Amino acid sequence: MKSIFKIAKFTYRELIRNHIAIVWVIFAIAIAALDYLLSMLSYGYQKQVFIDLGLGGIEFAGVLTLLLSLAVTYVTEFDQRAIYLQIVKPLTKGEYLLGRILGFIGINWTIVLGMSFLIAGILWFYGASVNIMYWEAVIGLLLEMIILNVVGLTFQMIGTSMAGVVLYTLFTIILGHLLANLKWLLHKHISSFMKIILNIFYYIFPNLEIFNIKDRMYLPHHVLSLVQWESILLYTFTYSFFAFLVGWIAFEKREFK
Amino acid sequence: MPALILDNISKTFWTGVYGFQKQKKIIENINLKVFENEVFGLIGLNGAGKTTTIKIILGLLKPTTGHCTILNGSVENRQIRNQIGYLPEAPYFSRQHSGRELLNFFGSLYELTGKKLRNRVDEILDVVQMRHAASEKIFTYSKGMLQRIGIGQALIAHPKLLICDEPMSGLDPVGYKEMRDIFLELKHRGTTVFLNTHDLNEVERICDRIGIIYKGRLLKTEEMSHVLGSTHLLKYWIELDQMDFEQIQNWPVPWIKNQDGIQIEGDQLPEALNRLASQKIYPKSIRPLSSTLEAFFLKAIQDFNEAKDHEKHF
Repeated sequence: MKSIFKIAKFTYRELIRNHIAIVWVIFAIAIAALDYLLSMLSYGYQKQVFIDLGLGGIEFAGVLTLLLSLAVTYVTEFDQRAIYLQIVKPLTKGEYLLGRILGFIGINWTIVLGMSFLIAGILWFYGASVNIMYWEAVIGLLLEMIILNVVGLTFQMIGTSMAGVVLYTLFTIILGHLLANLKWLLHKHISSFMKIILNIFYYIFPNLEIFNIKDRMYLPHHVLSLVQWESILLYTFTYSFFAFLVGWIAFEKREFK
Repeated sequence: MPALILDNISKTFWTGVYGFQKQKKIIENINLKVFENEVFGLIGLNGAGKTTTIKIILGLLKPTTGHCTILNGSVENRQIRNQIGYLPEAPYFSRQHSGRELLNFFGSLYELTGKKLRNRVDEILDVVQMRHAASEKIFTYSKGMLQRIGIGQALIAHPKLLICDEPMSGLDPVGYKEMRDIFLELKHRGTTVFLNTHDLNEVERICDRIGIIYKGRLLKTEEMSHVLGSTHLLKYWIELDQMDFEQIQNWPVPWIKNQDGIQIEGDQLPEALNRLASQKIYPKSIRPLSSTLEAFFLKAIQDFNEAKDHEKHF
C-alpha cells in the first residue's frame, strides 16, 4: 500500500519538475488575461462571460496537462525504459499503475484548482464574487479529470507508441463529450448494425457530459441535489475502477521487449 | 544450492501483420543453474539472446516454454523481489531528480524507511563514489555517473542476487576499473551475481563460471579456472630477428610465416620452441594472440557452426 503513495509522489515530483506546471501557470495567466479582455467586450455580462470562459479554459488546461503528461511519461517510461527499474522492485503492477494514476491526478488537480482560484481571485479583486455553482462546476471538472487520467493511463498500458496513446485519449475525450448526441442518434431511424455500433460506443466511452456543470449554471434549479451528486460520484468511481482494471490486466500481460 | 534455475526456457516473438506472421526464436531450450555465492557471466555476441534471458529471469518477458526459479521461488513473489537487484544496460532515470532522491525512492520501494534508509543511501553513495554529486540533477551526470547510480540502486537493499546487463558498456577506463572493483568487492562478500556481457576481459577477471550463448542457444557452461587452463586453444605469435626468419623460411612446417615472425597453434608451441632452439634461434618475444577466454569462446562457436554444417550435409 505504501508503495502506491511512493510511486504517486515520485510521479508528481517528476511531472512538476518537467516544467509541466510552469508551462501551465503561464498558460493559466494567459487564459485569465484573455478571459478578462473578452469579458470587457461583453457589456452587462462581464462576470458571466468571465466565469464561462474561465471554466472552459480550466477544462482545456486540464486536458492539455493530461496529454502532455502522458506524452512525456510514455517517452521516459516506455521508450527509454525507465519503467524497468521500478517494476522489478517489490511491488505489484497494480500498485505501480495506481501510484501513477494518483500522481497524474495530483498534477491535474493542482492545475485545475490553481486556475479556479486564480479566476475567483481576479473576480474578487474587481469586487465581484463567485457563487456556489462556480465551485460545483469546478468539482465537476475535478471528477472529470479523475476519469480522464485513469483512461489516459489505461491507454498508456495498452498503447505501443506515444502518439497512439495521446490520440486515443484525445479521441475518448472528444467522443465522451458527444455521447449525449449519440443517445439522440440512437432514437432515430438507423440500421440495427449502426445501432449496435453506437450502443457499444455509448456504453464503453465515458459520458463526460454528466460533469459539464458549467453549461447548466444558468438553468433554473441549477444547484445539484445530493442524489445527483451521489450518482455523479458513483459513475466517476465505477467507471474509473473498471478502466483501471482494464489497464491493470493489459499491464500484467504486457511484455517489455 | 542454485540461486537461479532456468529450466528449458524458450522465447519466440511473432512479427508481421496478423495472418502473415513470422515467428522469430530469440532463445531456445536454455537450461542453466547459477549457484549461490557465485559470479556467473553469460557471454555472447550482440543479438545472441542475453538481454532476453535476463528479461525472462526478471519477469519483464514471459517465456514461451519453460520455467524459471529464482531464489527458490517465483519472480512474481514480493519477498523474492526484495532480494534481487537489477542493473539494466544504459539505465535511464527520471532526469529531474538528484542521485540521492533516486536512491531514496528506490530504497523506499524495498521498504527501507527513516534513518535506516538515509544511512543506507549514504553508504551506497560511498560505495559507488557518488557522494560529491549526490545532490546534483541526473541530467548533469556523465554516462559513468549514471552507471554508478544504476549499480547503487541495484545494491540498495543488500540483494542476495544481483543481475546486471552489460554493466561496463560505455564506461571510460577509470569508470571501468571502479565498476570492476565494485564487482570484486561483491564477490568477496559472497553476493550471487549474474551478468551479461560481450566484454571478455571483464568476465575473465570477475566471473567464477561462464555460459556461452550463441544464436539463442546456450552452447556451454564452464568453470573459469578450467577456461583459463585451456592454453592449448590459444594461438601464439613468435617474433624473430630478420636473419633468423630468413633461416626458417624453407622449413616444411605448418606455421604461418610473415616478415618478422611466425604464428602457431598453442599445442605446437613446445615443439616449435624446441625446434628453434635446436637451430640456435631464440625468439625476440612470444605472446598469445588472444585471451584464453576469447579462444574458448570462439572455439565453442566454431564447434557449434561445424556441427550445424554437418547436420545440413547429412
